[in-house]
Amino acid sequence: MTRTPSHRPTVGTSTSASRSPAGTASRREGRPATFVRGEWLRTIPGRIGTHVALCLAAIGALLGVLTVTVGNARDSVETIGRDAGPQVVATGTLYFALSDMDAQVANILLIGREHRLGLGYDESLRLYERRRAEADAAAVMAAQLAGRDPALRRTVQDVLDGLGKYERLVGQAMKLDEQAAHEPGRLPPDVVEAYREATDLMRLQILPKAYNITLDTGARVRQSYETERSAVLAGRTWVAVTGAIALLFLVATQLYLARTFRRVLNPALVLATLGTLALTAVAAGLLTAHVGHIRTAKEDGFDSVLQLSRARAISHSAFGDESRYLLDPGRADTYEQTYLDKSLSVVYPDMGDKPVNLENYHIGLEQKVRAYEPGREDVPFLGFLGDEARRMEKGRAADALARTLDAYRAVQRNDALMRRYVAAGNRAGAIDVRYRTAMAIHDFGAYDQALGTLTDVHQDAFDEAIDDANDGLRGWTAVPAAGAAAIALLILAGARPRLAEFR
Amino acid sequence: MRATSRATSRAGAGAGVRAAAAVVVAAAGLTACGLGGSEEESMAGKDSLVIGVKEDQPALGVKRPDGTYEGFDVDVAVYIAGKLGIPRSRLTFRTTNSSVREDALASGTVDMIVATYSITAGRKTKVTFAGPYYVAHQDTFVRADATAINDVRDLKGKRICEVTGSNSWRRVIEERKVAATPVTVNTYGACMDALAAGRLDAVSTDDLILAGFAAGRPGRMINAPFTDEKYGVGLKKGDLKGCEEVNRAITAMYQDGTAGRLLLKWFGGSGLKLTTSVPQFEGCN
Repeated sequence: MTRTPSHRPTVGTSTSASRSPAGTASRREGRPATFVRGEWLRTIPGRIGTHVALCLAAIGALLGVLTVTVGNARDSVETIGRDAGPQVVATGTLYFALSDMDAQVANILLIGREHRLGLGYDESLRLYERRRAEADAAAVMAAQLAGRDPALRRTVQDVLDGLGKYERLVGQAMKLDEQAAHEPGRLPPDVVEAYREATDLMRLQILPKAYNITLDTGARVRQSYETERSAVLAGRTWVAVTGAIALLFLVATQLYLARTFRRVLNPALVLATLGTLALTAVAAGLLTAHVGHIRTAKEDGFDSVLQLSRARAISHSAFGDESRYLLDPGRADTYEQTYLDKSLSVVYPDMGDKPVNLENYHIGLEQKVRAYEPGREDVPFLGFLGDEARRMEKGRAADALARTLDAYRAVQRNDALMRRYVAAGNRAGAIDVRYRTAMAIHDFGAYDQALGTLTDVHQDAFDEAIDDANDGLRGWTAVPAAGAAAIALLILAGARPRLAEFR
Repeated sequence: MRATSRATSRAGAGAGVRAAAAVVVAAAGLTACGLGGSEEESMAGKDSLVIGVKEDQPALGVKRPDGTYEGFDVDVAVYIAGKLGIPRSRLTFRTTNSSVREDALASGTVDMIVATYSITAGRKTKVTFAGPYYVAHQDTFVRADATAINDVRDLKGKRICEVTGSNSWRRVIEERKVAATPVTVNTYGACMDALAAGRLDAVSTDDLILAGFAAGRPGRMINAPFTDEKYGVGLKKGDLKGCEEVNRAITAMYQDGTAGRLLLKWFGGSGLKLTTSVPQFEGCN
């Protein structure tokens, strides 16, 4: 009984003067024994010490959880914003560059001896070389992204191997073409045959793989985004839970001191409690905002940019199918079909029960797309631009989309005109539409530019969201540690005068 | 005296605990809605799979008298499941006809469909498609002596098979605008009989389906493909993880030579030009 002094300092007597020397002495003697038996817990200083220790441990846990979660948040910015995200978009260039290489070859072969037709022989050759260099650069990027994934590395290698073979085949076709010096659109069968071999390799083997590389790397970004997002969200829960536990201990300590020492409030502990509340709330708010920024970057930025880069690559490839359609009349049906399939993947207007052919496509496109107003709920077409339209609210992106759709319709009107000439047996007229008058090439250029502007809008949204995420995290290397340290000091400052009463 | 002190301090702590517990519950409630729900349960994480296949397509999906299934689609499904870590013993095959495919996936009666299921923009709004695992093309099968038919336009004025419920004849007559005469027959098997008997001049549909029905029959595949039919693996809408995993399995199937082997095994004898390079995937969404 005497070893556990029941000091209950009352109001006005809680000074060192009230300490009984005898009590202090007996406590000192009994210390080791009481400690072993856990009886120290029954002493007031022991209880205060326990309270303080629990508070400090909870603050320490809060600091640990905050540090880990802020680290996860930083990782998510790295993944989406700086490393994988932009690189994946860059691999989209691979498909684009490869498919444009083949389109330029078709242009060169089609114009034959008339070197100034269309883009012109020199310009087409220059573009071909440039795309080849771009494809190489994009393949390097893809190889880096592949890292240690053997399947993806193999796909990249297959693309590069195929490209080497493709260039040899193109070389042969070009040589035969030069020897033939034919008039535009009238290729000798051996040139057509040589080109078929090259374009089949490109379209059926190389391009699908290039496309799959972008899809696969995009899938990894999506997966790590999901993982990191869940980690940040789980971290936010842990911050809230540890914060709440720290608050619980602080309030309990406050109440204990108030009862024990008959005081209303301990100012230092009040500050510590408010500090903990503020740190927890601000951190939870920051993490919520962070998840929002990253989500915007991923969905409004990355996903859209990737989708639109696929739309651009496929549009160029379809434009190349027009050349191939003119170049190789024996396969006109096939190239018309691939043109239609690619067009459908860009914009798929609702055609009702009508058969899905190019003629009905052109009609449906005019009807449905002209009637479309940005921001409307029911978008009457599917495809890449349909997906884009469904995501859209009024504003800068909606304007850019409207211009893109207008330009796309112009491209398709030129296509319809060209095919009407072919259907009427006037191949020279068709070649004029596609190559001699600047219209088709100009309109396609305008469409490409509009698509580029639309992509830029999403790129800006992406950059902005990533900047916001980075800004939010700035300073959060020091804040948790400094905050936790300040709170710990306040707790100690609050407990010290009370403990001092027992010395 | 001590007892009172303890009691009060307990009561005080009790109030604190309750208050703090309320904060914890509130905080957990706030964050709970943000957690989970981001990704639905994926077929990629299952221990066993129910796979929808056809039961009446020779060489693609056929139900044998003993109730088991065989065909190219079945082998592809087994390979994909194997790559997802599910052995054949834990696979259940179920006949899934064309009309019920979307519902079967949505309701979860099947986890995955591998059944000459063409990817189209309309279906993509209801189904998540992995693959395609093969791009089939509409082609035409004629009698061996019909040397004048070499592409789809040569079908002008010819009698072609119109199978109830199939759109293939429309692709010739309506989409390609070739003035052929459709002759209604119930099944592709019956078309082949009618062709041999001279009641028809040509059967035109997906080349793999033709190759399956044509096996062991005299006749000629004209090898003039004129559409792309992207055979996809149907998954429940939104199962992106499953879709990505299946795409990786399909890539592996082509890289390790299995796809080429399976195509040869089931269609090698048909005279059909087969593509053994991985198709361009549709993308998971």
